[in-house]
Amino acid sequence: MEFHWIDLLPQILLTAGGFLIFCVGAFWKARSSQLLFGMAIVTVLAAGIGTILGSKTLQFAGMLEVGGYGRLFTLLFILITLISILFAHRYGRDRSFAGDEFYGLILFAAVGMSLVAGAVHWLIFFLGFEILSLSLYVLIAIRKGDPLSNEAGLKYFIMGAVSSAFLLFGIAVLYAVTGKMNIAESLAVATENIPMMLLSLSLVLVGIGFKISLVPFHLWTPDVYQGAPAPVTAFLTTGSKVALFAALLRFSSCLANESLSYFVPVIWALAVVTMVVGNISALVQTHLKRLLAYSSIAQMGYLLMALLSVKQNGVPAIMFYLIVYAFMDLGAFGTVAILSEGESDLDALEDYRGIGHSHPWQGALLAFCLFSLAGLPPTGGFIGKFALFQATLQARFITIAIIGILTVIVSIYFYLKVIVFLYMHPIEKSIAIRGMAASDRIGLVLIFLLILGLGLVPSPLFSLIARVLPLSF
Amino acid sequence: MENFPILSLIIFIPLIGSFFALAFWRRLNLCRWTSLCFTLADLAAVFLLFAQDFKWRSGPTGRWWLIEDFPWIERFGIRYSLGLDGISLALILLTAFLGVLCVLVSWKQIETRVGAFHFFLLVMQTGILGVFLSTDLFLFYLFWEVQLFPMFFLIGVWGHENRIYATIKFVLFTMTGSLLMLIALIGLYILHGRETGNYTFSVAQLMQTHLSLPAEILLYAAFLFAFAIKVPILPVHTWLPDAHTEAPTAGSVILAGLLLKTGAYALLRFAFPLFPMAAKLSVPLLLVLGLAGLFYAAWIALAQKDLKRLVAYSSIAHMGLVVIGIAIWNAVTLSGATLQMINHGLTTSALFILVGMLDERIHSREIAVLGGLWSRMPVFSAFFLFFAIASMGVPGLNNFVGEILILIGTFKKEPLVAGIGFAGLLFTVVYILWVVQMVLFGEPRKEHVLWDVTPREAVILVPLAIAVLFIGLCPGPILNLLQDSVGSLLDFLK
Repeated sequence: MEFHWIDLLPQILLTAGGFLIFCVGAFWKARSSQLLFGMAIVTVLAAGIGTILGSKTLQFAGMLEVGGYGRLFTLLFILITLISILFAHRYGRDRSFAGDEFYGLILFAAVGMSLVAGAVHWLIFFLGFEILSLSLYVLIAIRKGDPLSNEAGLKYFIMGAVSSAFLLFGIAVLYAVTGKMNIAESLAVATENIPMMLLSLSLVLVGIGFKISLVPFHLWTPDVYQGAPAPVTAFLTTGSKVALFAALLRFSSCLANESLSYFVPVIWALAVVTMVVGNISALVQTHLKRLLAYSSIAQMGYLLMALLSVKQNGVPAIMFYLIVYAFMDLGAFGTVAILSEGESDLDALEDYRGIGHSHPWQGALLAFCLFSLAGLPPTGGFIGKFALFQATLQARFITIAIIGILTVIVSIYFYLKVIVFLYMHPIEKSIAIRGMAASDRIGLVLIFLLILGLGLVPSPLFSLIARVLPLSF
Repeated sequence: MENFPILSLIIFIPLIGSFFALAFWRRLNLCRWTSLCFTLADLAAVFLLFAQDFKWRSGPTGRWWLIEDFPWIERFGIRYSLGLDGISLALILLTAFLGVLCVLVSWKQIETRVGAFHFFLLVMQTGILGVFLSTDLFLFYLFWEVQLFPMFFLIGVWGHENRIYATIKFVLFTMTGSLLMLIALIGLYILHGRETGNYTFSVAQLMQTHLSLPAEILLYAAFLFAFAIKVPILPVHTWLPDAHTEAPTAGSVILAGLLLKTGAYALLRFAFPLFPMAAKLSVPLLLVLGLAGLFYAAWIALAQKDLKRLVAYSSIAHMGLVVIGIAIWNAVTLSGATLQMINHGLTTSALFILVGMLDERIHSREIAVLGGLWSRMPVFSAFFLFFAIASMGVPGLNNFVGEILILIGTFKKEPLVAGIGFAGLLFTVVYILWVVQMVLFGEPRKEHVLWDVTPREAVILVPLAIAVLFIGLCPGPILNLLQDSVGSLLDFLK
């Protein structure tokens, strides 16, 4: 089979950059503190340019899809990585973890994400899944002295091990039933052995369900999000979830109609409990990171709801929302990172009193991201949510759309609650927060422009998605 | 002039102004002056519209005097399309006019975070103007939401003691309605698309959809629910007294003068024409609720201790009459209802402004601590009396015209409703006379430091008074403006 190494340019660049950072970190002790940061940024930008320049073929050696869908998501992951690094720069330096392991691993995680989203072969998918997970275990626990961070790392590790086991077993059973390792081919098989097929698919779904924290596999999420350093949480909640959901989306659209029909009630029920539990649990949270964790669970619920329409032209809506979701959650956790001073993160809602006035830029961006998460115009979140509900209704899933919109109403309350703390409560104690570093500013502006842009002129992204999709599955 | 996007200009002048206001946040007076200039420019742009001859033009988005139509999100057939007719012209004129007054009213009252205050004020004006001009249902929904959140901040940041409770209640009520409407709106869009193969949000085309009666009733119910909350129609009015009472004066003016109007406007522009059969079925319900609002609000108003709350309840009563006018749906009542929206916007805003002025002086809105103002602030008291009797519906002043039109039109179709409505108006007279007596007359209180109307305040009150007198004495021009547009609305619902 013919293949071009140039097709793998983004992945190769990211891996090489990661190794180079490790080498510099290990052998050049007298380096400038900015060097690793600069190397990471250059690597990410180079990989981004590599992705945009594009590839000669659609698939690399029948393993990795580099043509359309995978390429679009690779670009998204590179952007997520870039913004996460920007937010982590000062944060990590102040807490002295911005060493080679941080920058190296975040690049490796990006490689893992792009493999997960682009894989057309189960082995590559699992490989990407493991690269991503391993990097994240370390990144979450990167504040070695902090017991919360360590606990979060351990929890994520145990959960990740369980989910890997489910996934691997599911893939093995699927191979046993169909005899194929190509994702599209194996899923499209109309087998007689329905029970085994369903078993394998359920196992895969559970494995992914843990990672994208669908209820009832979500229990780790608030603890890990709270314990991990805020920039890492931002990276985790966007990159890892979007990658896995992109894979789930690929699986669902490749799945034979007959097999999918067995899963429609399952997905329906999972989506309902995820939306309901996520939004209602968020109501009673008193800490912002936990609140955002539950909010991200609920967001996955909306996406899962639209997944029901996967065979009825619902894919573009889901892709659009995944992209918007990445930016708004990145922005929300990123602002937490920027606002955090001292050892632990600024987390208790009480501490956010009056932040909107004392720190107008950070407060405004946080409020803007929350408005977008709540789905209010003129943000990308509004267009995205509109697209999701439109796809769901178009596919005639009316009941779940109404349940969904009712949970959105519930969600408005807790998003508003944060904004009330930001702007409407009098300041009781002043919290010393340093000004923003240049990298923080760039990150803020990028996020703002992306969310606003997607809200006002969503057409280019929709037409890009429409161009990419026929090349993909 | 033909292709100049003047409607967009009118919508976005305040938005541009809002960024300037925010940018000048360090210099308070510059902020105020910038906002004033932009709102004045907006008012001037609306007046510029009158320079054109109003002839009907037909387009894919319906028949309008002025049309703007561009594709926006092709994937969903969403267009940026605006249309102007007499009804929207009257309402945007009111919006631009009250916009100027809101800046003037806040001149002394708002001392903190002035830049942000004007930012939200102007953004909200953009949202409201957009609601009145949109002819694409998606665009309408977008503006509908955009007008909501500035108000959330205006009440929550610059409001009075109980502001957080009031503002959250306001947003949750409104959002509940509008999100259910969003589902209905997408539902209508899909049903229309399935029927015709043409997926569009254009109101003119969606009106052609053939809906089964159950589907029509469900969709209409969602629309009605959203608009009823905004109007507000009994029994979903409970957010209004809280929001009004806690809002700063400019916020109350916009709430009463404009936001409530968007609900009534959407009812007659979208809900009724889109779902004529279901709308017809809902007429008895609307009549009963409108009448109930009239009596209930008047009755509750009498029990109020807070002057601002009293004016707020009077809004519910007035809007009840507007709802009756819309529900009867004939040429006379529709003109009356539209005119009454404007009238209510003028008189109630004036009353809120007067209450705000009192609040600036004595830092209380309790009726009990007032009294005998006539001898200490004669000019202020004269204005108060003037707007109070205008609100009561005294002939020669604006409310009388609107009320009489609604009642006459109703009498032709539903004499009983008209009779009861007339009795309800008598209730209004009772509480207004009561409040006039409590506030203006009686024993003067010595403990307050009072001063009469300042020149700035006169600049606010005099134009309002002129408008009230003008509509009251010669309503002809405005009714002519409305006539054709009302006529074309009537065609939708025979």
